[in-house]
Amino acid sequence: MSNVNRRDFFKIGSLSAVVGASAIAALPKKAAANKLDKEITNNLVKIHDDFPAEVRDDYVPPRNWDHVQARSFFVDAVKAIGEDVEDDIVADGQAFVQKMNFAYDNSKAGYTQADKALFAGAWAMNNFAAGPSPAAIPDYGVNSWEQKTQKNPHALFDNDYVVKEKWKFKNKQEAANQIKRAAKLYGADLVGITRRDKRWDYSKFLNPVPPLARKAFAGPPTPEQLEEMKNWGPDKFVTDWSDFPFEPKTVIVMAFEMDYEGISASPSYVGSAAAGAGYSQMAETPYQLAVYLKNLGYNAVSAGNDMGLSVPYAIAAGIGENSRLGQIVSYKYGPRVRLAKVYTDFDFVEYDKPKSFGVMDFCKNCMRCADACPTKAISFDKEPSFEPTHKNKDKAWYNVKGVKKYHVDAKSCFKLWGELGDDCGMCMASCPYNKPDFWHHRLVDSVTAAMPGPVHDFMREMDKLFGYGNVEDKEAVKKFYNPKGRSYDGH
Amino acid sequence: MIFTGIEILFFVLGVITTLGIATTVYYHRKFKFNAGAWASIGIGLFLFVFTIAWSVSSVLEGEPRASSMGMIIFGIPSIILLVLGRKLALKNNRS
Repeated sequence: MSNVNRRDFFKIGSLSAVVGASAIAALPKKAAANKLDKEITNNLVKIHDDFPAEVRDDYVPPRNWDHVQARSFFVDAVKAIGEDVEDDIVADGQAFVQKMNFAYDNSKAGYTQADKALFAGAWAMNNFAAGPSPAAIPDYGVNSWEQKTQKNPHALFDNDYVVKEKWKFKNKQEAANQIKRAAKLYGADLVGITRRDKRWDYSKFLNPVPPLARKAFAGPPTPEQLEEMKNWGPDKFVTDWSDFPFEPKTVIVMAFEMDYEGISASPSYVGSAAAGAGYSQMAETPYQLAVYLKNLGYNAVSAGNDMGLSVPYAIAAGIGENSRLGQIVSYKYGPRVRLAKVYTDFDFVEYDKPKSFGVMDFCKNCMRCADACPTKAISFDKEPSFEPTHKNKDKAWYNVKGVKKYHVDAKSCFKLWGELGDDCGMCMASCPYNKPDFWHHRLVDSVTAAMPGPVHDFMREMDKLFGYGNVEDKEAVKKFYNPKGRSYDGH
Repeated sequence: MIFTGIEILFFVLGVITTLGIATTVYYHRKFKFNAGAWASIGIGLFLFVFTIAWSVSSVLEGEPRASSMGMIIFGIPSIILLVLGRKLALKNNRS
């Protein structure tokens, strides 16, 4: 029997320190933890050379008015160009707009005047700067297609024009690094770069807003602008890519994290405020990145939900993976992100590749989002399919057909928006990938990705048992406002 | 605050891990653990440290139920394993 005396203890401690220090020193220029983290990530994240979902030959890109919101909110314009609009989506859209703009109920948690004020402030920048972009309407406000070549003479400071000299990066990787760094600086949480893919662009664009009313006045209107306003009508509502000012070659995709506690309060105005804050960020950051590209000497147009389908573009740019709920699921934030894009003709850049980390496999067994959705708009199918399988599948003009994925019944989803007067978000709140940015969730996600299907069922049940993913939780609104554990003054 | 909760947590975890390993080595010298005792105490100690890490992280992220569940799912097995390891070590010492 022997004891560890003080000398032995120091010997063991010193030996451990020497071994540890040697191991770290043996990894030149790279921290041991970073290397280990990278190794684990490389083993769990699969990189694809091509778009990871199958796309059938008969796939046809949608028009922007195949978006349920565009069709509902701009019903008069859609009818004016000679197309029918179903009465139910018009009614749902009107109920949604009415409640979202004018209603609150001080007796209902999450829907009081204070919650409404929170929500109004959150959406304010989007409403001011990007207007109808969330409903897929392009060429409005900061997302203008205009590519000026000189400063506005009425403005003191104006950098929003394409400069004559083109900046040359040393190599494509440097270009990608600097563009991504700029996007991060301007507020993007995730950023990826992909080639422009016409499959994911809207084929035609409806925009009934007269050009003169699309941007804040930068000076007195010209006689041409006044003439255009006078002659504005349905024959000018629809444009296509032939009207676009340049041939885009690259799409930079950005993701913005939405507040975890806000989304957890879904459905409520607090949940909508979290989404609105994301939309306001979508109005700001892509515009800043577009101006950055213009100052490098290249054409650029920023876009939120307009111009093209953000989800496939984000998949192509390696930002995340497709999911049952139809939204991107990112590695770091799960589905709790908003997406935006910048279209540019700059193409001397290292493109990202699509990545997957087991989300679609997990979705096959999970179905928490489908369970949480009150109108059953989310598919319960085990496997993804090329065609929608939901109850409105025969007249689902709003679903893109020919892409193998889970098809969401957007009409049923929108019906709930009309009933609630907010943009729901229960699918996101219930998703097991929706977690705060804490180490133990990334650990669980990584373990899950490495495990086969039956383990996913177990993980789903454990997620519920541990109390995550609750929806319609009355306490969630209180938790959102609770000052406990927060530091507002930084101390 | 000077340190955030997560910084304090990982500092404390470091202290607990060091003390846990030192104590295990101390008792190994005293009782000469067999493979069963080593496995039981090693896994038990790891689970114990993981329980603290999980539960405190869950409290910090505002999910008290996840914290309580962490104590049940990881904490109870860790205690069982540590007690079993102790028994195995003492049994080995008596025989």
